[in-house]
Amino acid sequence: MAPARRHSPSRRDGPHESIDMTTSASRLSLVGVSKSFPGIRALDNVSFDVRPGEVHGLLGENGAGKSTMLNILSAVLQATQGKIFIDGQHVTPARPADARAAGIAMIHQELQHIPQLSVAQNLFLGRPLTTAGGMLVDRRAQERRAREILAGLDPRIDPRAPIHTLKVAQQQIVEIARALLDDAKVIAMDEPTSSLTPSEFESLAALIARLAAQGKSIIYVSHKMDEVFRVCDRATILRDGRFIDTVDLSQITEDQVIAKMVGRDILHERHVTHARPEVVMQVEDLSDSGLIRNASFALHKGEVLGLAGLVGSGRTELLRLIAGIDSAKSGRVILNGKPVDLRNPRSAIRAGIGLVPEERKKDGIVRERPVSSNIALPCMGRFSRFGLVRRRALHAEATSLMKKMGMRPPDVNRAIGTFSGGNQQKAIIGRWLAADVDILLFDEPTRGIDVGAKSEIYDLIAQLAQAGKSIIVVSSELPEIIRLSDRVMVMREGRISTILNADAISEDAIAANAIPKSQGPLAVAQSIEVLS
Amino acid sequence: MTDIPTSTPIRSGPRINLRDAGTFFGLVLIFAVFAVLTPVFLTAPNLINILQQSSINACIALGMTFVIISGGIDLSVGPTAAVSAIVGATLMIAGVPIPLAVMGAIATGMACGLFNGTLVAIAGLQPFIVTLGGLSLYRALALIFTGGNPIFGIPTEFRDAINGVVLGVPVPVIVVAVIAVILWVVLNRSPLGEYILAVGGNPEAARIAGVPVARTKITVYVLSGGLAAVAALILTGRLGAADPTMGNLWELDAIAAAAIGGASLMGGKGSVVGTLMGAVILGGLRNGLTLMNVQAFYQLLATGIIILVAMLIDRATRGRA
Repeated sequence: MAPARRHSPSRRDGPHESIDMTTSASRLSLVGVSKSFPGIRALDNVSFDVRPGEVHGLLGENGAGKSTMLNILSAVLQATQGKIFIDGQHVTPARPADARAAGIAMIHQELQHIPQLSVAQNLFLGRPLTTAGGMLVDRRAQERRAREILAGLDPRIDPRAPIHTLKVAQQQIVEIARALLDDAKVIAMDEPTSSLTPSEFESLAALIARLAAQGKSIIYVSHKMDEVFRVCDRATILRDGRFIDTVDLSQITEDQVIAKMVGRDILHERHVTHARPEVVMQVEDLSDSGLIRNASFALHKGEVLGLAGLVGSGRTELLRLIAGIDSAKSGRVILNGKPVDLRNPRSAIRAGIGLVPEERKKDGIVRERPVSSNIALPCMGRFSRFGLVRRRALHAEATSLMKKMGMRPPDVNRAIGTFSGGNQQKAIIGRWLAADVDILLFDEPTRGIDVGAKSEIYDLIAQLAQAGKSIIVVSSELPEIIRLSDRVMVMREGRISTILNADAISEDAIAANAIPKSQGPLAVAQSIEVLS
Repeated sequence: MTDIPTSTPIRSGPRINLRDAGTFFGLVLIFAVFAVLTPVFLTAPNLINILQQSSINACIALGMTFVIISGGIDLSVGPTAAVSAIVGATLMIAGVPIPLAVMGAIATGMACGLFNGTLVAIAGLQPFIVTLGGLSLYRALALIFTGGNPIFGIPTEFRDAINGVVLGVPVPVIVVAVIAVILWVVLNRSPLGEYILAVGGNPEAARIAGVPVARTKITVYVLSGGLAAVAALILTGRLGAADPTMGNLWELDAIAAAAIGGASLMGGKGSVVGTLMGAVILGGLRNGLTLMNVQAFYQLLATGIIILVAMLIDRATRGRA
């Protein structure tokens, strides 16, 4: 990916300049912060500082300690050791309200508001502007003040609109407005773009730049390296709870940062094709009653077919049709020479099609149930005899599957909800291996998964293809699509616009076919930027 | 997101036994208190009495537990019981052999459950509303069919069978115990049990994983209806009559027993053993207070307090969900 970086990355490999940690100009300083949980040292003597007007990335794999750090900053957790300084003053917030009062605001990944209340009501939740001697809420004053604040952020947001009518990106802006209302000096954002479209990310990036220009310090946590390079000035890298480095992002490459996070290079491993000539699945003229129009394509044995397109182009919808989750209006899917009954997921699974959904928590896992049960759901018949589950057989198979995939810890009796996103994803993939499906549909397989587990998922997909499974991968990350796919199918406004063969795959070719035709060359150029 | 395993504990499989242990502790505590307050309480005849008194609620509550685990609720169990009792009694009096009449009653209860389950699973209506409708509907059917009058003249063979004692244990207790063992196996060892827990835990994920969601939901309502009929037969045998007003507020006792036993009204969680203990706690409480000559009004008060205290302890020991 070639992000429009604010600074051109330097290619030199030598050590970058070390940064003076004791600068008196720092807005926020953390000195020797440690946090222990029973049996785990989540943070171990971490020190870094954030300057006024700086956008500071906080990077690391899952378990590196980013969330713990944010929780300590927002006083959800208390540090076991260490000190926090704001503008040189030692602060010891005991509760989240103290942290807010000290000038630290958190924008959570899962936005926190009351859906039915208006934007203004949410902004003033818990500390309303009142009238009549504190007896009544002064709605008009709240709306006026909300409008003033929002004018500088996104004037299209109506303070009187119920917040659930807003798009996620706008809801996020309301959270930022709340931080400004608190007069926050430091605004920490946890994975702020996890549910934003590329154009919404653009607006957020511009907004963050404006806030920084006004002197606010931003702490930006994200898995997406290109975003971090785009948005942040410097970044602090954590690994296994330890401080690794604070780097100036204009002096370092993406690969070097990833290497610091995990210690190896994953996106540039070469792609090897396992595709064989025989066609396994033929999709013919598939349409639904909404977006999808006449989708037709063939999938070969052992092939990894990438499915690219803008958000809203119908990629997920097409996968759901093929998996029998949503009902098709016309068209058919032929698998191994036989038409597939697509009335419900169960019949599609029986025919040999399994979906690894994008939203793991919502569509993938039953969190309270053990990993083994989550794996066995599609094929209980295989694991039962005389109406009873053969627990030992199930346990043995689940354990061997999970060991093969490197699940940690390899305990299949534990509730799946207690595992990290990467391990949950492995369990969902294991589910389809146990069910022995021929076709695996992956919808954003590495979303919300840390860099290390990502490479494991890539390896798994390659192994599956080698074993003769046929695979469709939807991804919004072009480098990921290019790294994984034998061919790339591009969707545009519900239709398949092209299928690129191996020699024709490039970011430009994908982008050119993903952009709606009605727009001119300028829009194409912009969208290429957005896509990458 | 970074996951610190120890910071967000989620109940895992084996820990459900921990919840059962908690219920058991509560049961022992309440029984210990009554044992101190009234010497008669902790005698074998009285304990058997408690089990017998709890058996009807336990039977209803087991079905309720399955419905609750699947993410639903069945408010219509009382009237379902009444309709089933009326059908069973009418058949017996008409001279139909008793085993056939019993099957007819159970089939009636299952038919009520099938109706509920179809509206929930196929028509997609909310379980609370569907079974609230069923609550009125089935009660009305029972009252219209009988003109509001109880049906007397239940054959003595049937009454003797229900009121019988085998090796010192009353028949209703044995019936419910056998049902409980079967249901424990179904919930913990059968594919259906896995499906019920999955559908209650996350219906959409279950559907995408190929679980027959509609069939699973219908099954739990049919089960609940069938068990309501069994409870109705037990009561009919004990009273010697089938009353169309039978089963008033049974649904509340059943929900209480299931909740005390660890069933989550959000679905996905519940325990057969826990529900049985929940029913015995409620039965023991009533029995003990009656022995102490406590007024009925105060018994109601105590029941309410026990339910709320159980839920508070549950909440506190589970940690913040």
